[in-house]
Amino acid sequence: MISESENIVFNLSEGEPRFVAQIKELGGEEILECIQCGKCAAVCPMALAGFPIFNKKLIQAIFLGAREALLDDSSIWACQSCNRCTEICPRDVRPFEIILAMRRVAVREFAVPAMSVEGLKSLYDVGHAVYLKDSGQTRQKVGLPEKPPSVIAFPKALKELQAILHQSALWEIGIIPMEGNEMADTCEV
Amino acid sequence: MKVGFFIGCNTAFNRPDLEQAVRFSYPHLGVEIDDLEGQSCCPSWGTMPSVDLAGWSAVSARNFCLAEEKDLDIVTVCGSCYGSLAETRHSLQKDPDLREKVNGILEGLGRNYRGSANVYQSVGYLYKKIDIDKVRQSLKYSLAGLKVALQPGCHTLWPSKIYVDREEDSFHPHILKDMCQALGADVADYSRMTDCCGMGGMRSADMERSFNLLNVKLKSIKEEADPDLIVTGCSSCLIQIDTAQGQLYKDGKIKFQIPVLHYMQLLALCLGGEPEKVAGLAKTSVSGVINKIRGDSNV
Repeated sequence: MISESENIVFNLSEGEPRFVAQIKELGGEEILECIQCGKCAAVCPMALAGFPIFNKKLIQAIFLGAREALLDDSSIWACQSCNRCTEICPRDVRPFEIILAMRRVAVREFAVPAMSVEGLKSLYDVGHAVYLKDSGQTRQKVGLPEKPPSVIAFPKALKELQAILHQSALWEIGIIPMEGNEMADTCEV
Repeated sequence: MKVGFFIGCNTAFNRPDLEQAVRFSYPHLGVEIDDLEGQSCCPSWGTMPSVDLAGWSAVSARNFCLAEEKDLDIVTVCGSCYGSLAETRHSLQKDPDLREKVNGILEGLGRNYRGSANVYQSVGYLYKKIDIDKVRQSLKYSLAGLKVALQPGCHTLWPSKIYVDREEDSFHPHILKDMCQALGADVADYSRMTDCCGMGGMRSADMERSFNLLNVKLKSIKEEADPDLIVTGCSSCLIQIDTAQGQLYKDGKIKFQIPVLHYMQLLALCLGGEPEKVAGLAKTSVSGVINKIRGDSNV
């Protein structure tokens, strides 16, 4: 992760000219509407918590073509998906969609934190991104059946979910093993 | 009245006492619950939304299909589920190509997404669909004399235009406040009410920054409101505020610990729900608050 005190130096002639186009293709459609006014940054929990890259800076770095620098930084994965930025943006840029688009770029480069890979694996293996192995006991303690009425209790429903994932980009990219169907261990994302 | 209950991973596996709270209080207010059998992850933000719009939408749409096939709407106690499902619904409404693609995927499963089911958050659903007087009249215990501070939760508020049960002014929300006042509580304002709790992607990515963010909020709550209880509308906020306080206290960063409950748990307690079932898994002790509520039957 880029430290807060470190200045990032961009060589503009080495920037990635197709970067903006890729962001638009992957969901950040309104990026060129951004005038860098900073309203999104003013309401962003990531900015408040001191992460080096947040909505406004991400958009600026994309404009500069700083693809490699962004792939080296994991800040985008700390985004809370809270959508304050989308609510407040006066230009309807929908900055959160640009965070998601940048994550989709990173996924295609396998530049993904281990926790996110675990979350995807858990989604595929058991049908829930968050799954706690000992939850059966916890549920029984409060008087509930060991399994909730979700894919966990209905193997056919899990197969349905997996069939959907097999037809998604997750399959094409191959970031997690998808052939088998082993039970995952505890996963808290 | 009947509604599909979308439980959500964190509630089903981490805080099933909150699941019990919904299963207890909704029927008490005349709302029957359907389990939406076979429901999956919404999916949460760090998974399919971060990979691919069509794949995200297809997983979400399958969950909607389970409700549509029974002509039901969906309620959830989790902000992330609420946000992820509502965003998908919004995308599928405005983008016919995406809808075609998603239905192409679902066709192989014998399902079809129509867009007829709406998604509500549990407190907003009660606010919009149930007469607030009915809530008042159903109470076994009142919260008179109890001071609460509110944590509505980011996803219950933004982006407001995609929600059917949205606030009139999302930066000055009042639904949770009105619903707590209906239980008789004294709601104390504080300046950082709409600040983020630090759960979610931030906690997974950097726990220290996440807890520090919460710490700023907790100090605002303590100094400005000094409540008996924090009430939230989101299961993620519940888990974060409940579990982080112990660590912050141990590290000497706070000198207090404030009990926290999801609104549905508080409602269930006021309706006479068994504390061990509807609020039995809190890490930051809630027994003092529960004694206060149940010891004074003044309705």
